[in-house]
Amino acid sequence: MTKNIDSSSELVTPDYSEFIPAMDRRRMSHVQKMSIACALDCLQQAKIEQADAIIVGTSMGCCINTKNFLDKILDAKEGPVSPTSFIVSTHNTIAGQIALLMKNHGYNMTYTQNSLSYEQSLVDAILCCAEGLMNVLVGGTDEEEDSIYNMRARLKDDKILETSGASFFIVSNTKSKTGAVNLIDAGSFGLVKNTYETAVEFLQANNTTAHEIDIVLYALSGKSSLNELKSVFGAEKLFDYQEITGTYYTNSAFAMHYAIDILSNQPHPIFAEVKTVLVYNNLIPENLGLILLGTKNE
Amino acid sequence: MAQDLKYELKKQIIEELNLEDMNPEDIQDDAPLFGDGLGLDSIDALELVVLLEKYHGVKITDEEVGKRVLASINTMAEFILEETSKKK
Amino acid sequence: MRIFVTGIGVISAIGRNVAENLHSIKSLRTGIRKSLEYKLMIGEVPLSNEQLVQILNLPDEDFSRTTLLALPAAKEAWGNNKNDSRIRTGLISSTSVGGLDRTEKYYSHSQTTKTNDHYSLMIHDNGSTTERLAEELGISGHISTISTACSSGANSIMQGARLIEGNKLDRVIAGGSEPLATFDIKGFHSLNIYDKEICKPFDEKRMGLNLGEGAAFLVLENGQSISITGNKPICVLCGWNNATDAFHQTASSPDGKGAYLAMKNALAKAGISPDKIDYINAHGTGTGNNDLSESMALKNIFGNTLPSFSSTKGFTGHTLAAAGAIEAVYCTLSLVSQAILPNLNFSTPIPQTGLVPETHFRSLKIDYVLSNSFGFGGNCTCLIFRKY
Repeated sequence: MTKNIDSSSELVTPDYSEFIPAMDRRRMSHVQKMSIACALDCLQQAKIEQADAIIVGTSMGCCINTKNFLDKILDAKEGPVSPTSFIVSTHNTIAGQIALLMKNHGYNMTYTQNSLSYEQSLVDAILCCAEGLMNVLVGGTDEEEDSIYNMRARLKDDKILETSGASFFIVSNTKSKTGAVNLIDAGSFGLVKNTYETAVEFLQANNTTAHEIDIVLYALSGKSSLNELKSVFGAEKLFDYQEITGTYYTNSAFAMHYAIDILSNQPHPIFAEVKTVLVYNNLIPENLGLILLGTKNE
Repeated sequence: MAQDLKYELKKQIIEELNLEDMNPEDIQDDAPLFGDGLGLDSIDALELVVLLEKYHGVKITDEEVGKRVLASINTMAEFILEETSKKK
Repeated sequence: MRIFVTGIGVISAIGRNVAENLHSIKSLRTGIRKSLEYKLMIGEVPLSNEQLVQILNLPDEDFSRTTLLALPAAKEAWGNNKNDSRIRTGLISSTSVGGLDRTEKYYSHSQTTKTNDHYSLMIHDNGSTTERLAEELGISGHISTISTACSSGANSIMQGARLIEGNKLDRVIAGGSEPLATFDIKGFHSLNIYDKEICKPFDEKRMGLNLGEGAAFLVLENGQSISITGNKPICVLCGWNNATDAFHQTASSPDGKGAYLAMKNALAKAGISPDKIDYINAHGTGTGNNDLSESMALKNIFGNTLPSFSSTKGFTGHTLAAAGAIEAVYCTLSLVSQAILPNLNFSTPIPQTGLVPETHFRSLKIDYVLSNSFGFGGNCTCLIFRKY
């Protein structure tokens, strides 16, 4: 059983020297190291040499390096400014560094739409597969940094446990031996008036209904009420994924990993059979991210 | 004195370039800093130029001068001593 | 399926709208000047935030300049388009700065957001600047922000086309916006690639880039959308591709591999051979590295059939995330005007390549235009437009 996150929780940090040479590692912040380690591990698991595309969703990008460069500017006053933090501060440094280490010349994209960054990456990954690409590396990642962005104020919730995370996946065009589940669809909906209507329409477009979904992994912002979610899907199916992820804008990627674990490790402790899981990301009230996953046969 | 300066340079380089697993003792005075030696790159070269100005008050304004001066710890120390004595 | 460009809008150092930009280009008039504030050559949009808020009739709010530049360009492109439930519509913008122009004003390294809770620290993220734009345009649903440094604007446009072709959307307003920020100015200056004079793209004596700011958007529609909106096509977006150089975080490879792949695959997407291209709007930043690398890639793709080419960054400066979008608008102008756009400040070719860009606004029969945009992280994007 997973342990819920609390204020004493610490980020799990692998030995990055296994994945990244020292001369490359020295310039990398958290978000880059986490992502590269995940990406390389994914390739190994999928037993592929190279991905055809690399797509990353990150809301805040390389914010530690951004803060570092702001510090350098302040410290230098009128004198010369040290350049390293600047060159690794762009949001796409993550996807770019993965490509550099993998010597990957394929399609490379970075989405930065706060809580929808990961879902947009997934929408793109699905589009890539529809266009004929075989293996797409896709991930969601953000690092905690509390001097340039006030997440508590933005989410109007002082109680959130801000943290960092990275989750990467290989999305493939064809079924393979290592393939765990079916990624049915993903959707990103911004400035939505009625999130429940939007969710029901999304499910309809995928030939299913709220009633037929077996488990809903959800994130709601602090002030939002759980009641409507309960009435649409049923209270017994709902699980708040932020209890294990903590809060960062791309934590729905972690929820997708959690969903894959649920679908691949049956029977489930509570439900007889889990055929479909919906990730319902409503972290920012007016934005809705949806990820629909099913067992291989769905 | 020159030895102290070289030791100081090595410490500053390790810190500014974030060479985590290194100690000053690991850098030879005459070892090439770029290419096959320490393996620094063009961004590191820019950092070394900043380092020289920030910590030692000496400026490199020419690319050719830069290539010569930044070749090794020895050449960097020589440059600092030369430029500093010019100012006196 | 054809992807039609039916709306264009732009704001840059050389004009507050499409007509002004075109007029400056025809007059060979640069917008790059010595900035009093930064003491560097910069392509500033000569309107303050306060002036933009007034012109746009916006509420009294601490807007990021990213949104303030995006709005006039997006509104110009959007024109009389309206929301219609029969037309699946999206907004894709791009930026590197996002809300950083506000954050850097209030940032202090002795404080965290618990001690410094200024409003600007809530709008730092890129996505919020795009959401503000979506609100003003009345668009909801697919609202997206891409951030791939200097190829971002082109990637937004490519993404819009792919979503339409993939039958996810019918109409997309796509582009980018990038204001000046001390962060970027200090950053590029620290890399020693900033020209003290006005930049000289593709010239032997080029010394680096000048930064600029601006925004541009295109409205893309499929046939179904046009049959409802009645909008007239300006041109067709017929080819696109994105590839990675994977050589170095900031420098391009000597043979421009990423650029080569992006162009090769975009031509394949358009279903045309290289000799069909009539004009190339190059990335051409004026740095030693880019212009040589891009020239090698051009030679490798086009060989003896290299058409007229130019960089327009001598007019606007390098507008980073907005560049690909501003230059896409300029490509449509090239098609509509049936003319090659000029490359300013050129006198001597790069010795290794001998390539000579076009230096005049010259009339020519143009059917296909190719546009390149390359960013940090080795991100290379190529777009191809066709006359309608």
